[in-house]
Amino acid sequence: MYKVEVSTAFIVECYKELLIPVIKSVIKKQGVPSMLKVQEIRELIRLIDDSKIDEFCFETNGTKVTMKKQGGQVVSQQLQEPVQAAAPVQEEKQPQPEPVKEKTEQKPAQEENKQEAPAASQSDYDAEVTSPMVGTFYTASSPDSDPYVRVGDKVKPDSVVCIVEAMKLFNEIEAEVSGEIVEILAEDGELVEYGQPLFRVKTV
Amino acid sequence: MESTRQRLIKILESNKNAYLSGQELSRRLDVSRTAVWKHMKELEKDGYKIEAAPRKGYRIVAFPDKVTKNTLRWGLNTIRIGKEIFHYEQVGSTQEIIHQLVQEGYGHGTVVVADEQVKGKGRMSRPWHSGKNQGIWMSLLLKPELPPVQAPQITLLTAVVLAEVFASATELTPQIKWPNDILINHKKIAGILTEMQAEQDQIQYIVLGIGINVNHDQQSIPEDIRHKATSLKIESQKSWEINWLIQLILETFENTYEQFLDKGFQSVKEKWEKYGYKIGEEVTISTMRKTWPATLVGIESDGALLTRTNDGKQKKLYSAEIHWGDDGYNANP
Repeated sequence: MYKVEVSTAFIVECYKELLIPVIKSVIKKQGVPSMLKVQEIRELIRLIDDSKIDEFCFETNGTKVTMKKQGGQVVSQQLQEPVQAAAPVQEEKQPQPEPVKEKTEQKPAQEENKQEAPAASQSDYDAEVTSPMVGTFYTASSPDSDPYVRVGDKVKPDSVVCIVEAMKLFNEIEAEVSGEIVEILAEDGELVEYGQPLFRVKTV
Repeated sequence: MESTRQRLIKILESNKNAYLSGQELSRRLDVSRTAVWKHMKELEKDGYKIEAAPRKGYRIVAFPDKVTKNTLRWGLNTIRIGKEIFHYEQVGSTQEIIHQLVQEGYGHGTVVVADEQVKGKGRMSRPWHSGKNQGIWMSLLLKPELPPVQAPQITLLTAVVLAEVFASATELTPQIKWPNDILINHKKIAGILTEMQAEQDQIQYIVLGIGINVNHDQQSIPEDIRHKATSLKIESQKSWEINWLIQLILETFENTYEQFLDKGFQSVKEKWEKYGYKIGEEVTISTMRKTWPATLVGIESDGALLTRTNDGKQKKLYSAEIHWGDDGYNANP
């Protein structure tokens, strides 16, 4: 249960890229309502400060962070609201000028994802492993090694399924679910985008 | 809590030119004189040279250049980086050891140093020549609270740390080839390999591998890479003390890293660009599908390489093969 409001004249793509992971990491850690960590608030302030966003409001169960720029400076406010027994309403207000909404789902809300909705694919799957960053997709730890996984392989949440490399950082991507790999969507050595689906998994 | 051994080293260091009696030491350390003597013997094994003069006492005459857990820890002025240090004479690769230590529950700042790696790892498991006592082969365990998309910035930060250390400790002029190779006189002197375990939105841990050619002679660099690899000794005509360099790197790293967490990537970016290799020059870039010429402009606020193509368009790159045009040496040897 969370709500993100960003009101601004315009928002540049890269700010979105930077903001979504931060917000998602906050949401993921908050199994129970809790205050944001100082580090997380600091991170948000810095991102907002660097952006053209004038006003920012982020709300999770019982915690609300509001930031408003005054004379170029970010002013932030964190409120710990009483936790209500009823589920908070997940409403989305329409801020006036060119509203930008980030509906943060388990998978990044990217246009491509929406277009290739379930009907578009013939394979039977119920989870996708997506890329956490822009980078080069590698199916194996080295050109001579066997690939981490092949179609039909069973995976566990901590199984490494591929590597995505960006700026020489080698990110071992884990499946995060238990199941069977039904489709590999990227080619070895291909450049992948943030949030791009890499594998389809039929969970068990 | 500091060990008696470390306190003893500290006392000896602060009284470098004076003799300290066994009685005085036993009083200050609150151990028996026999225990003081035993500790002295152990220090000698680590490479310390201690002079014992009758009726005067003990005096330290030489600090070891031998790398051990003790000699690395002693005098290391950091808070979290290197709080746990593991030293091995020979390992497969220090990266592998860190991955194991994570499973055993070791945390942020753990450092593994080896005298020799027999399976030194470079990019995509390419071998990295890491001979005995010639260089610095180490890995750091980091657990930053950052979103994974920001993690590659730590690789660039580490390159800046190494460049700053080389620039301050030697009279050489280091350069950084995007994103993270350190060059001196167009030849590679240090490499960084960063591995990360992360979920979509959360970093579990980062293993930062650093390999530096320190005391290699020309002959100890394999012939096939001599045209593109060098060492501090070859470039500066003198040998360097490994312990001291490691400590300087860890201390500089800790400061730079804290500043990065506090203030963001901007400060790293400015320093990086100061050392940037071939900025303003033309190189050839290739990805799996195409190859094109471009001019390097600098780096973006997130660390991506900013390039300009011939038609004047600017393009951000996160991952690509770069052909630098010198001796056929490209970004990924």
